[in-house]
Amino acid sequence: MGDRKTNWPLTVFLLIVSAPILIMYLWLFIDSISEINVESIWPKEFTLRNWRFLVQDIPGHGSVWTATRNTTIFAASVVTIVVALSSTAGYALSRLKFPYRAQFLGFVLLLHSFPSVTLIISLFLMLRMVGLYDTLIGVILVKAALELPFGIWIMKGFYDTVPWEIEMAGLQDGASRFQVWHKLVLPQIMPGIAALAIFSFMAGWSEFVLPLILAPSSEARLLSVYLAGLMIDDYLSDFGLFKAVGLFYVVPVMIFYLFTQDKLMNIYGGGTKG
Amino acid sequence: MEIRLENFSKSFGPVKVIEDMDLTIGDCEMVALLGPSGCGKTTTLYAVCGIHRVTSGRIWFGDKDVTDLPPQKKNVGVVFQSFALYPHLSVFENIAFPLRIRKDGSAEIERLVKEMAGVLHMEELLDRRPGQLSGGQQQRVALARALVRQPDVLLMDEPLANLDAGLRLEMRSEIRRIQRENGCTSILVTHDQVEAMSMCDRIALMNDGKIQQIGTPDEMYQQPRNRFVAGFIGNPPISFCDGVIQDHRFVTEGLDFDLPDRFEAASITAGQKVTIGVRPEYVRPEFAVPIEGEITFVESQGREVLYDLTLAGGKVFRSIQGGGPKFKIGENVRWGIDIGATFFFDERGNRI
Amino acid sequence: MRGRRSLLPVWFMLPASVAVTVFFVIPVFMTFVFSFTSMSSDTGILGNRYIVTEATIRELTERGVDADLVKRLGSRVFAFDQAGLAAVGKSGLKPPVVKEIEEKLAGAVFGSEKELFAALKSLKNRPRSFRDRKAVSKAVVNTIVNREFRTATGFRAGLASINVEVDDATFDRLLGLVNTSWSWTTKNYVELLASDFTLKILANTMFYVFFTLIFNVGFALVLALATFYMPSGQSKFFRAVWLIPRISPSVIYVMLWKWFTFDSGFMSYFLGTFGVAPENWLNEYPWTFVIFANGFVGASMGMIIFASAVLAIPRDVLHAAEVDGAYPWQQVRRVILPMMAWPILFVTSYQTLSLLTSFEYILLLTDGGPGFFTTETWALNAYHTALSNYYGNLRYGFGATLAVVLVVVGIALSLLYLRLFDFKALVAEPPIES
Repeated sequence: MGDRKTNWPLTVFLLIVSAPILIMYLWLFIDSISEINVESIWPKEFTLRNWRFLVQDIPGHGSVWTATRNTTIFAASVVTIVVALSSTAGYALSRLKFPYRAQFLGFVLLLHSFPSVTLIISLFLMLRMVGLYDTLIGVILVKAALELPFGIWIMKGFYDTVPWEIEMAGLQDGASRFQVWHKLVLPQIMPGIAALAIFSFMAGWSEFVLPLILAPSSEARLLSVYLAGLMIDDYLSDFGLFKAVGLFYVVPVMIFYLFTQDKLMNIYGGGTKG
Repeated sequence: MEIRLENFSKSFGPVKVIEDMDLTIGDCEMVALLGPSGCGKTTTLYAVCGIHRVTSGRIWFGDKDVTDLPPQKKNVGVVFQSFALYPHLSVFENIAFPLRIRKDGSAEIERLVKEMAGVLHMEELLDRRPGQLSGGQQQRVALARALVRQPDVLLMDEPLANLDAGLRLEMRSEIRRIQRENGCTSILVTHDQVEAMSMCDRIALMNDGKIQQIGTPDEMYQQPRNRFVAGFIGNPPISFCDGVIQDHRFVTEGLDFDLPDRFEAASITAGQKVTIGVRPEYVRPEFAVPIEGEITFVESQGREVLYDLTLAGGKVFRSIQGGGPKFKIGENVRWGIDIGATFFFDERGNRI
Repeated sequence: MRGRRSLLPVWFMLPASVAVTVFFVIPVFMTFVFSFTSMSSDTGILGNRYIVTEATIRELTERGVDADLVKRLGSRVFAFDQAGLAAVGKSGLKPPVVKEIEEKLAGAVFGSEKELFAALKSLKNRPRSFRDRKAVSKAVVNTIVNREFRTATGFRAGLASINVEVDDATFDRLLGLVNTSWSWTTKNYVELLASDFTLKILANTMFYVFFTLIFNVGFALVLALATFYMPSGQSKFFRAVWLIPRISPSVIYVMLWKWFTFDSGFMSYFLGTFGVAPENWLNEYPWTFVIFANGFVGASMGMIIFASAVLAIPRDVLHAAEVDGAYPWQQVRRVILPMMAWPILFVTSYQTLSLLTSFEYILLLTDGGPGFFTTETWALNAYHTALSNYYGNLRYGFGATLAVVLVVVGIALSLLYLRLFDFKALVAEPPIES
């Protein structure tokens, strides 16, 4: 077991079951820059025709740039809110003593595993009642709030790993609790904040259901809704176009993934553990 | 069952861990693989039980070549340093595990496990989980699991390292007793010379992937083959002192004496650099060859006292003497060394 | 001690608490509230709405309202009062016509269009075409049919404009009967229990969750164990590949499945080389691909957790199993799997919850079809009922009732997790006391 050799049957088996994923994402790239061939999946010839959406609007679907701008604003705002509120609340829950702390913690943990998508109907009705329906700000607030229990829980976990001795030493040296947090503890958990920021950005960038329901109009439309709109348009059934838009949409995520794979592995797997 | 390693070598990628090792362990014998960490003793053990593949050379159990057998096909019992008990199984099931894998009948399993539990005095623990046991109890379970199927060979990897001092002493004699009763050929891996000397028939002292010397504990102590062996075995350790041969004399700053008669001109030449090794019990006031110096360190160990004697040239000799602290730090004394019990090593560390 | 208490915890907890309360806790509570209402796109979600429609008029007759009154409620009155005349002025008729109407008909009231037209014909500068006469009619007509009133006073004024005077008792009764705003009701729950669709979506949900779970957890285990017994380069590769669906936006991932199963996509091409005719495989085998698409995404989570759980098993234990005679398959079955019981339980229950409640992938993939309710699950049906359907009537209240079931299941299973965590250790008191 110390030195593993390639077990060919096992490797071949895994290659076969992984084939759909590999093929799908390979052809996402291939088809976006080739003339679709009707008889075969092999590309006919190179073309940039599928990328025409970058310079001209697709009839009935508005500009991809508006959607891109909205998506960027959306994801960046979600990151800002989630990181700011999680890093403070997470610290309080991990390190500060205050009444009902245990109850707060239990509550965060409960919400963390609670499936927030079940709230979509009442969120829709509430936003309409207060006039935030179909605005970018409304859907940003909802998304950030729904990500918060997860963010707080993750940040609490990162704070828990900072040795208490650092804080005790800081207090002995005359710093206030706030200074201890700001000057001593926060720098220790920068990797954690980075991981949470990346995770929230990707969650925001990819979000589909919330904007679909809470901000469907073209001014507030996100890329996910834009692409979904193309796909259900009966006048378009052009996988070359879909894939070009899809690739345009997924590239930031893939770049993030390539550079932060290990961090994300931790948070995807570990985020749900205690 | 005799175990024989012939020209055994093991490398991990480009790193050679063991080179051309030969070792024979007689039937019913218990041999210690002793050495500092990283010397390849655990690697050797893992190769014998089959967890590691052998890079080259042969391993024999009796007259059967087991070099390429996977661990599942070797009848070897292993006690791991961490005990490696199965946390989800009861003590009974832990001991029964090898038998269940072997597909023994349940009545037979019941009988063998009970019998083993009897030998190890742990009948009342059989229903517990490993997590509920003390270190010593876990050790017994690990031993029982290794022995229950009457293995050809019993291998133990630092079996006492995870126990506290008192238990270690108790388990030392306990393991030896059980090994004798079972009569199975055993290899014990340890870095603790006291453990090796007190438990085993013979010791194979390893360093840098090579066996330095094999012998009984007494042989190792009295007749070390080289400087490494002399330095490793013995506590408090031996003192070394470098010098040069001049006119059949050993000369260094602050020490100068005639070579003993056993050295003939052929084996030792003028101008040769030599190192002498003197065990602390042979540095005392009553010995003949005089050494003069200052006492720079005193440590009372109760029954005996340990001194460091620093010669004028800075060479340090360690001495152990009975009867309470008679000397103080800073005192200048004139003691002696026993030349008959002094080891001489050549430049490459081999004993002359 | 009192003097030392700082406000830092308050400032640190407050923003997050407010955000979570407003957009998380209150919606949970409101889901229950909405489930007891008859809200729909017909009733609107705000306050009272009084509307008399053709249907209301028929219904009023059936409810025994005085037939004469009912008739008058539906009637139209053409009045040349100030508002009427102003409207005529803006209706685009020629100025002489307007002027004569203002002079001769001011203050006149007609009970029917016929009378109005007769009066118009008697004018010197009369509107000649039928279209012009209609324009006058449209300008001066008063009716309450299909007009929305927000308040009772408004409704009374509306009645007055068609010359209907009723006593207070009748007015109140009328007000109750024509109020189309939402109301409190338990009918949603009755309907939920009585409806045949409930059983259908329940069965669909069970089927979907059960088989996706088997695929999910099974594949996660296979991947974690297979990659454990592989050289590290290979295992890294496979783990990275299986994480791609998880990090891709759902829209793209589903689009790729649609292409994969499309009649000009990969499957059709691949099977075509064996002589199978191309088909839209997603339409042909909707459940299979719903389960595959969800399973490929879900497997990665279990894979990561299981892989780290396998790595957490001490090496010595596996070595011990090896020298005890167990082959890899026996090691897996007798040592590794039993030692991973907890992670398996954890992943299974977590996945159960998320599969029960999420509908994103099915929505994008099949939208509950093909055909009627083929792959419609509970969560998807709640979405369809309340937020998007073919009939146009969005039943918010009933949708909320369907969501209540999910919320209750969600709370119950989340509480179960709390038990699975070592909660006491998590909430241990901080050692710095201020």
